[in-house]
Amino acid sequence: MALSHDEITDKVREALVDALGVDEDEVTPEARIGADLGAESIDYLDIVFRLEKAFNIKIPRGDLFPDNILQSEEFVQDGKMTAKGIEELKTRLPHANLSAFEKDPKVDDIADLFTVDMIVRYIDLKLGQDAG
Amino acid sequence: MKFYLVDHIQELEPSDRIVAVKNLTLAEEYLADHFPDYPVMPGVLMIEALVQSAAWLVRVANDFDQTLILLKEARNVRYGTFVRPGERLVMEVTAKTIGPTESTFQAVGRCEGKKAVQAKLVLEHGLVADEDPTGEAIDASLRSFWRKRFNLIGGPRALGDRPEES
Amino acid sequence: MRWIWIDRFTEFERGRRAVAVKAVTMAEEHLHDHVPGYPLHPPTLMIEGMAQTAGVLVGDVFDFNEKVILAKVTRATFHTHVRPGELIHFEAVVRGEVRPEGAAITGRITRGTDLVADIELMFAHLDQSRDPVEPGDGNFVFNEDFIRMLRMRSLRNLGQPAPTPDA
Repeated sequence: MALSHDEITDKVREALVDALGVDEDEVTPEARIGADLGAESIDYLDIVFRLEKAFNIKIPRGDLFPDNILQSEEFVQDGKMTAKGIEELKTRLPHANLSAFEKDPKVDDIADLFTVDMIVRYIDLKLGQDAG
Repeated sequence: MKFYLVDHIQELEPSDRIVAVKNLTLAEEYLADHFPDYPVMPGVLMIEALVQSAAWLVRVANDFDQTLILLKEARNVRYGTFVRPGERLVMEVTAKTIGPTESTFQAVGRCEGKKAVQAKLVLEHGLVADEDPTGEAIDASLRSFWRKRFNLIGGPRALGDRPEES
Repeated sequence: MRWIWIDRFTEFERGRRAVAVKAVTMAEEHLHDHVPGYPLHPPTLMIEGMAQTAGVLVGDVFDFNEKVILAKVTRATFHTHVRPGELIHFEAVVRGEVRPEGAAITGRITRGTDLVADIELMFAHLDQSRDPVEPGDGNFVFNEDFIRMLRMRSLRNLGQPAPTPDA
């Protein structure tokens, strides 16, 4: 059953409102899950569980919110991502918009990539893949 | 244990904001279970400390008329640093709305300057007489009890620190 | 006063669902403070009862080797007051499944047919979250006392509710 972009957005919004206790109108496409909606580490797992249930999908650990990409020297140097690191990010996060990040790829700014819109695009891609 | 989680009121702006503290000490027996050799303030007691702080805002708002103030809903309660014996939790609670029977708050508890707990709270408030026809006497005695308690924990001083309106 | 806010497990399905019961009694000290002359079991201690029921359910998945602790109370809503002499049941159900990163629980507290509270919780492992822990022996979360008092070694014997006999 194909879901429209709006239907996906509605369900993602509902999951974020339930997980983070924010108001519906705070959940805009550009809103960053961490900086704007106040998500902390345990919340990311809560969001994953709710999305899995809402869309009947499995989200492998680190697929939506990569947690351990930052450990390797190959990818991170002096607090910034290397060219290799950026390539790795692009491969792991086809649903993220990296154009702004690339200009000044500070590791501390990675969390800013996690926006509502990024989640909607992830779900869109995922539902498309699962459909075969 | 005594189920009073507010030791002292530091600041109180009526119908708006309260800052209060709870000290944690090894003498609190339940800590032996939470946990053995690793005593830390239980997360739900942090919530209770925030609830009791918010309750003082409600009492002052209706001049101690309402005697029964209870947690109706807690949302989005998250934890940070632990509170250990010998430390204190500083509760800062801001009222979003104070209604006739229900009030909402945004609350944070900090320990050594770091966030220990944060929560959105809804409290319901009323009288024992609302649910028990014989409750009037209990309400009268509770009003007196809460007023004395308020005096004991620095309430009047916290109120008095507010600059007088001209 | 012991920091134990449930009395006994009545149903247990590994990794999925557990039910525990608590008897509320005038013999409990805290009821004389909450509130003086009109004892009501505090909502926050009911959140703890659910956290303990769910914590055992989650901890059992790792054979009680992990220090499973409450990481978040997503929502706790209370519908009615609980008094001494009443028995309340805590039903905890795992949302999805228990994972190494953590677990999400949906819970209901009931008194007979009355709904007392709806609670949603999340758990994580102490060593992965919050402050770093000084190394020590053993699991102080699931310690010997707690295990003995709640008869956690016999949980599997509880199994599922008895099936209704065929007509």
